[in-house]
Parts: sequence; structure tokens; C-alpha cells
Amino acid sequence: MSDATTGATTTGTAKQHLVMEHLVSLTYRDALPPSLDRFVDRLLEGHIVGHRCPSCSRVYVPPRGYCPMCVVPTAADHEVEVSDRGILTGFTVITPIAYYGQQETEPFVHASVRLDGADTTLVGVEITGVPHDELRMGLRVKAVWKPESERSTEGISSRGWGGVSSVIDSFEPTGEPDAPPDEYRDHVF
Amino acid sequence: MAATGTATDIAVVGWAQTPAVRRSPSTEVQLLVPTITDAIAMAGLDRREIGFTCSGSCDYLTGGPFAFVQNLEASGAWPPIAESHVEMDGAWALYEAWVRLQHGDIDTALVFSSGKSSASEPMELWPHQLDPYYLAPLGVDPASLAGLQARALLDAGKATERDFAEVVARSRRNGRANPNAQLTGEADVDALLAEPYLREPLRRHDLPPIGDGAAALVLARGARARELCARPAWIRGIDHRIEPHQPGMRDLTTSTSAALAARKAGYDGGPLDLAELHAPFSPQEIVLRQSLGLPEGTEVNPSGGALAANVVMVAGLARVIEAAARIVDGGADRALAHATNGQLLQHNLVCVLEGE
Ligand SMILES: [Zn+2]
Repeated sequence: MSDATTGATTTGTAKQHLVMEHLVSLTYRDALPPSLDRFVDRLLEGHIVGHRCPSCSRVYVPPRGYCPMCVVPTAADHEVEVSDRGILTGFTVITPIAYYGQQETEPFVHASVRLDGADTTLVGVEITGVPHDELRMGLRVKAVWKPESERSTEGISSRGWGGVSSVIDSFEPTGEPDAPPDEYRDHVF
Repeated sequence: MAATGTATDIAVVGWAQTPAVRRSPSTEVQLLVPTITDAIAMAGLDRREIGFTCSGSCDYLTGGPFAFVQNLEASGAWPPIAESHVEMDGAWALYEAWVRLQHGDIDTALVFSSGKSSASEPMELWPHQLDPYYLAPLGVDPASLAGLQARALLDAGKATERDFAEVVARSRRNGRANPNAQLTGEADVDALLAEPYLREPLRRHDLPPIGDGAAALVLARGARARELCARPAWIRGIDHRIEPHQPGMRDLTTSTSAALAARKAGYDGGPLDLAELHAPFSPQEIVLRQSLGLPEGTEVNPSGGALAANVVMVAGLARVIEAAARIVDGGADRALAHATNGQLLQHNLVCVLEGE
């Protein structure tokens, strides 16, 4: 605890506030469900897999273990492999400000990529090899894999955030012509 | 068709629960997918017919921000649905759905809840629900608080340690008939009393098991309920009341809020076939029995209660499901279900159910 003095009040007397530091640390053990565990195993080997819904045929990457549109479970026998190439469907250029825990110092990209063969997007991926002012929806991109010896599962989580950046450094343009909007219109998230 | 009716013609017509397990490999939403599907199927509905959906969960359990949003995927949220969420036990989601049905424009509602305590350390996590000035910085864990309550109960002469052990033995014995229970079996009271203290005067068995799981329930009103279920479990009254957050500001040997909620829910001390009480620590069942004024002979926690399975955020809703199940199958005519939130029975909900 420490005492802090703030500015004078309207009556001219200094006001005392008691400031109490209360640092919170919580421990979580994030065990990946079988669907995501398998995705990670294949990812470390350089392959990207998802689940194809047996009802509507949508392909979810990473696999969720269910189709949210049909509300049916999916499992290992619904596994399909998709390409490591795809379409940039959306992006944000983030200019970092210094806050506790921020490690970035230069503007960087959080992008969504619809891989060929998938109906969902990989989210939060970095795009390199193209100036930020030339980023656009429809840009054809491909994965830049880390060397096998440098891949790890760090940051991969079942809890709704985290991504594949510990295995795939970024995506970069393939040089192919841009994809027409019909190829990603309903797949931007 | 616009539904119309009274406050007492809303009924439980379907439900499903997962077994409570110490560590489920599934995420909360994966646990919910088959559970919600089964509850809706039991009610004989298509999910697109559901008028309102309300869920209860706590993102702190798995440490996943907005996990409750992903959980909605298990209810089939496309095309868009009308829904709400409470960061509370699913029994309070039931309460909100019941209130929503009072509007009279819909006649069905889905309630679900999920909890996955295996991802965190409950004794580390739960102190953070306490006030941030006096108790949270001390790291007072739920078992220590429950120990204080147990001590107060002993000092007041309202119970003995043997009474605590008898609650545990009955809960585990009853749990044997509950396929979703986690901690079950024969337990000898003298053997339980020979165990060492964990937080004196509590022993390990006076604490609930730590579990993962999910539950879902379907409500319908009036003619729709009769159409969907041969013998609906009618909610004759439901109410919840809360007491001060600071445990030192109340008498821990009684539950004023549970007694008031029961009275407001229309419970008058009359005969009950059974009561499902959400008492995570064995002394709390004694506090609740005394405060609610349950008649002698009332069967308490035939499911085994929270000492047999205590999936946080689910255990209260499970009490309503267990009571409703006994009415729907004809085994009971009148039941009381209770749920609690917060520390040491701070917040209590009482639901009175009847068959016709
Ligand atoms: Zn589908």
C-alpha cells in the first residue's frame, strides 16, 4: 500500500487517497480437445487439416468438432486436408502503442485468410512481402512455414484466441491474379 | 400463434445433462452440442421453433474471454436467434427465460449452462469473486470460508460434525442411482469422521468434487407444454434473493435470502415429495433445510446433490432438472429445487414444481 496525493480540492486542501496494489495471477491448463490436438500434430508436420460437415459440407479449419450451422458433431472421420494457399479476405494494420505486455514496435497486420478448400478463415495471421498500402481483399497468398526445427505449439489455444504463428511465420503474395469477390464474399470472418 | 397465460403455466418439458467428470477433453461448446440437441429432441421440438434462449456460464473458469459467445454456436444461432446470457449458474438463466415467457408472445424457451473447472485452480480462482479490499487480497479460498460457516454452525449448536458426515454419506449413496454423478458409493459415517481435517472442522469429503459438464432444459407454456409432454413439470413459483457480499455482515448459520426466495416462490412449508438443494459444502445442506423449513420426511437430494456432482455454473440448473425429472416420470407430485451463487449461500433461488 502507498499514499498518493492528488491535486488540491476546490477548498484548497490537498486530498489524500490510499492506493492499494492488487496484482492478480491465475493459472490455466489449456488441454486441447482431440479435434485441435490432431490439427496441431498435422500442422507441425506441415499439413493443414479441417473437418467437413457431414450435413452441409462446409469445411472448418481448424476443426471445431462440430458444425455451428447444422449443430452436428464432427470427428476424425470428417477430416480433410486443405491447401496452404488461399485468399486474403480481410485485414487490419495495427500501429502498436506501448502498453504492458506489448512486444510489437512497428505497424503489423492481422489478416484473415481463406485457404483453398476451406469455408472458414485462419484469423490473426501476418502478411509479409507486400507494402501495407497495397493490401487488399482478394489478394492470393501462401504460407511461409517456419523451418521444422523452429516450430512450436506456443500460442495455440482452445480458448478462442491465439493462432498458428508459432508454425507459420506469415503469408505472402503468390503473384497470381487477385481472386474475384465471389470466391470469398460469404467467407470473410 | 401468440401465447397467453398466467405466471404459473410455464413448465419444464425437456432436458439433458452430461456426466460430471474431473477432466473432460472437450471444450464447453463441444460439451453443449449434444446436450442441447438431446434436450430439444426430448421436448419434441425443432431448434428453429425455440422462442428465446438463455445461457449461464463463467469465462473465468477456462480463461477464455467471450467463451459464452462461442457456446451459443451449440444452440444453432443461425439464422439469428433471440438470446441472452448470465454470468451465473444456469438456474438464473432459467429465471430469465421464465421472465421472458411472461411477456406472452412466445411459448418455448431453451436454457443451457456449462462449466469446465479443470482448466483452472478453483482454490486460486474463487477468491477473486470476493471483495477486492479485504478478502480477495488474503486469498481466502472457498473451503476456508465454508470452514468458517461450519464452525459457526457448530458453535450455535445447530449441527454436529456427525451431521455433516451423514449428509455426505447420504449424498454419495443417492448418487449411485444418478448416471451423471461423479463421486458416489457407500460411505460409513464413523469412517468419514476418522478422516483428517482439510479446513477444520471440514474434511475433504465435506467439499464438493471438481467437475466439468453441461446441462440444457426446455420450457414451454400452457397448451404447448401439454402438447409436448404427457406430464409437464409446472413451475408454480420461482424467485431469487441476495444478501450482502461481505460474509462478516450476515449470520452464516441461517439463510435469510433462501427463506425469502422460498416464500416469494409460493412455498408455504407444506408437504414436498422431494427437495433438490444446491449445497456444495455439507454444512450448507443443513443451513438450507433449517432455513427453508422443509417438513420431516422430505426426501433431500435423491440425485446425490452437489456433493456427488458439482459442475460450477451447472449444478443449480441440474437441481431443477433432477426435480423436474421426478415429476415428469410420475415419481413425485410436488418438489422444491434450490440453486445458489456467490460465496457461502450469498444468493439463492427457489423453484417450486408440481405435476398435475
Ligand atoms: Zn454443417
